[in-house]
This record gives sequence, C-alpha cells and structure tokens, in this order.
Amino acid sequence: MQPHDNRAWLLLLPALLLLGVVGALPLLAVINYGFHDIFTLSDVQWVGVEWFGDILQSDRFLASLGRSLLFSALALSIQVPLGIMVALLLVGFGRRAIWGLMLCALPLVVPWNMIPMLWLGLVDARTGIVGPWLAAAGFDWKFTAWHTWALILTMDTWHWLGLVVVLAYAGLSAIPPAYRQAAAIDGASRWAIFRHIELPRISGALAIVLLLRFVDSFMIYIEAFTINAGGPDDATRFLTLELGEEIKGFSYGQAAARATLYFLFVLAVVWAFVIATRRTEETA
Amino acid sequence: MIRAAGLLALALFILLPLAQAVMLSFVVTLPKDGLAEGAVGLMNYAAVLAAPELRAAMVNSAVYVVLNLLLCIAVALPAAYALARYRFVGDRHFLLLILVFRVTPPVVLSLPIFILFSKLGLVNSPVGIALVHCLFNLPVAIWILESFIRAVPRALDETAFLDGHSGASFFFRHLIPAIAPGIGVAAFFCFIFSWVEVVFARILTVTAGKPVTMAISAMFGFQTDMGMVMAMTCLSLLPGLGMIWLVRNHLARGFTLRA
Repeated sequence: MQPHDNRAWLLLLPALLLLGVVGALPLLAVINYGFHDIFTLSDVQWVGVEWFGDILQSDRFLASLGRSLLFSALALSIQVPLGIMVALLLVGFGRRAIWGLMLCALPLVVPWNMIPMLWLGLVDARTGIVGPWLAAAGFDWKFTAWHTWALILTMDTWHWLGLVVVLAYAGLSAIPPAYRQAAAIDGASRWAIFRHIELPRISGALAIVLLLRFVDSFMIYIEAFTINAGGPDDATRFLTLELGEEIKGFSYGQAAARATLYFLFVLAVVWAFVIATRRTEETA
Repeated sequence: MIRAAGLLALALFILLPLAQAVMLSFVVTLPKDGLAEGAVGLMNYAAVLAAPELRAAMVNSAVYVVLNLLLCIAVALPAAYALARYRFVGDRHFLLLILVFRVTPPVVLSLPIFILFSKLGLVNSPVGIALVHCLFNLPVAIWILESFIRAVPRALDETAFLDGHSGASFFFRHLIPAIAPGIGVAAFFCFIFSWVEVVFARILTVTAGKPVTMAISAMFGFQTDMGMVMAMTCLSLLPGLGMIWLVRNHLARGFTLRA
C-alpha cells in the first residue's frame, strides 16, 4: 500500500503550471469569448448566451452533430475490433510479432496533412495504383456520398489502426502462458478464452483507445476536409468544418461559443465513460 | 495459412498508400531544369535538399519536437513519481484533470492560444509549438512513466535514500536508469502526436518558423510539383522510422487509462 503524503503535490506543481498556461487559461478565454461579439480585440460587446442559442437552434448544427456522431460510431466499430483481431494475430507469432507492430505503427508517423494526399493519390482514376480498378468498378468518391464516407473511413482506419494494435498487443502479451494452458486443459472455446482471459487484460488499454479514437474522430478536420471539402452536397460536413469556416470568416465570438459547446460535449462523453469504468472496476 | 494470409492483407493495406508516395518521389512530375516529365532518379530529393525553406522546416520541426520531448519528460517524471509512490488528497482528481486536457480538441483552443502566444511573443517560433503540444503529450508521458515507475520495486527508493542519496541524485543516478525504456516509450508516443500535428502548427506559424507539415502544405499551388511533395513527405517519415526502430522492443508496453 502506498503511504499517504500530501507533500506529493509539490511534485505535481510543474505539470499543473504547464497545463494551466497551455490548457486552463486558453479554455477560460474561449468560454469568455463565447459570450461576446468580437469585432476586433479592442471592440468587444457582451451578448450573453445569444450565440449558444443560435447554434443550438440551427438545423445545420444538428445535422453536422449527427454526421460526426455517426462517423465516430463507424470509426470505433471498425477500428477497435479490427485492431484487437490484428493484435491477437500478432501475439501468435511470438518474438517475430515485433515486425508486425512496427508495420502497424508506420502510418502513425505520417504528417496528418499528407495522409489525405496519399489516399487521393492512391485512388486517382488516372495515375493511382488502385484508382483505375476502382473507377472501372464504378467507385466515385467525388460525387457519391457513401463512397466519400467509405474513403474517409478507410483512410482514418489506415491512420489509426496502429494505435489500437500497439495498445491492445501490450495487454495481450502480458498474459502469462499458464492462463492459456489452463483454459486449454479445461477445453475452453476460443470465444471463452477471449471473453474471460484476454478481454479483461486489455480493458485498460481499450478504455484509453476508445476515448482517444472517439475524440479524434469526432473532431476530424484536415483529413475529411482535404478529401472532398465537406461534399458531395454537405454529406461529409462534420462539426469542425463549421468551426473552421467561422474562424476563417473572423466570426470569433460565434466560433468561441461553438468551440465551448464542442468541448462540453466531449467532456460529457468522457465523464460518462470514466464513471462507467470506475463502476465496473468497483463491481469487479 | 489463414494467419499468413491475414498478415499479407494487413501489410498490403498499410504499405500501398506509402508505396505510391515512394514511387512518385523518384519521378519528375513537373518538367524543369531540362528534365523531361517522367524521368526517374533522385532529382526530387536533390531539389528538396537544395530548397532553403524546406531545409529550415526540417530544422524547425526537429527543434520543436526535441524541446517538446525534453519538456514533457522533465515535467512528467516528478508527477509520475508522486502518483506511483504516494496517495494524497485529490490524486484521482489530478488524473481526471490530465485526462480532460488530453481529450480537449485542439481546434477548440486554437483561437485563444494564438492570442495568448502572440502576446507572449511565441508566434512563428518552434518554442511556441513545443509548449502547446504539451497539452496532449504531458498526460500521455505521465501515464506511461507512472506505469514504469510503479513496476520498479519500492526497495530501490529506500536503499538509495539509506545510502544517503539526495532526492536529485536518486532521480538521476537510480530512477532514470531503472526506467530508461519507459522514457523511450514516452518519447515515442509524444513524438507520434507532435511531429505530425497540424492544427496548432498551422495557427502558430503565420509567416515564419514553419515546421515540415506546414512547409509541405505551402508546396501546393497553381502548379504543384507532386514528385517533390512526395520526396519531402518521404524524408519527413525518416525520423519517425528511427523512433519506431529505437523503441521496437518496448513498444509492446503501451499505456492504459488511469482515471
């Protein structure tokens, strides 16, 4: 058991100071801006909750929220199971699994603004490696909504699968062989081994994967925008695209109100998630 | 058999987009300097290395990433030690707090960060980016280092202090060598979230100090030299490949949710 000592806070001070400057201060500022109409930084007027009311009542906001939630749900339900499957596959290779891990980590080090360029190059109907075949099969990511969605989801999966694999593999490779041997003697099914031995071991890693993937996919910007600029016909207009437009249009007060709403939304989801994890930990 | 096929499909899926980029980086896509379109060779790489703004971008990126790693690890180490070794009032609240900062979307903070940093004179400088990337890297560094310190038996601390080591000398002579792989893993995860980041990097580099990501964006124009863009992209992958190689044996430690 760890000793109780409140002087430990002294060791947290540098971290708190740093996060205060780059996190807490800007956050308070953005919330404050959200209640103002900002023409220039010296010409600021209090407007109360007007922006918030406008945004929450607009149909476009609700439609974008729906699209972003759907995108996150699809991204998570593809990437998490697929990542676990790849990690299970790699665990079976023993020491050589390290090469598979390195392979999966490769897309993580590609600059984010180049990822859509790589994929656009790949599916280019004239010069891409797979583009001509896709075009022959009738794939048209520019004008068919679900094709654009498929392309963005595939790209996002390519980008982030490695994170799921690396973190899930970490949990799986720490399982002592005796557990699996005991299960084999008991004649446990493959599913039973996964459900009762492997899943509990990777739940901590999966929790952080779920949270990180939720926030990043919910707030996807550069990648989705570069592919088709929100099109076709607004079909891939996610929440961040509207925020980007307002910042570009110098509508800072409204942009800040919108940013505050997004932050509160993310916060609510994370909070609910943490409460749920703590509850399962306590009952377990 | 099925496992080999699965692995092959995975490798194909991951390598295809990269293969396209690597191939294109060796091809002249825009006729210039007497080179015909379609010529194959190292011309694009030569052109990238000859461009002063692209060389400067690589230096800028390297400077801010190294600064960010040093800052994150220096600040995360004491915090991780406190969380691993002691219980104190509000320890769980602290973990929740860093989780909240880790999941705060960068777009939400981009506007006030720009205003704050321009007041502090940190716009257009790698120092600004290094600081702001701590927002999402410091929590990750704390989680990773905490799990590594927790795995070191408490006896190490106790014998060191009995031997008369002061706090600082214990940290540098005993704790850091004991968790060196953890520092490597923390550096790796900080690297992959920082080197490739674009939202803060863009908003904080208006006229100068552009990192690799923004220098690549600036290469797109009326007539884009795609071969050269891809050569620059391939070069930008090299530090990442180096990092993956360095931590390959410890990558499997990962990190987990602590809240």
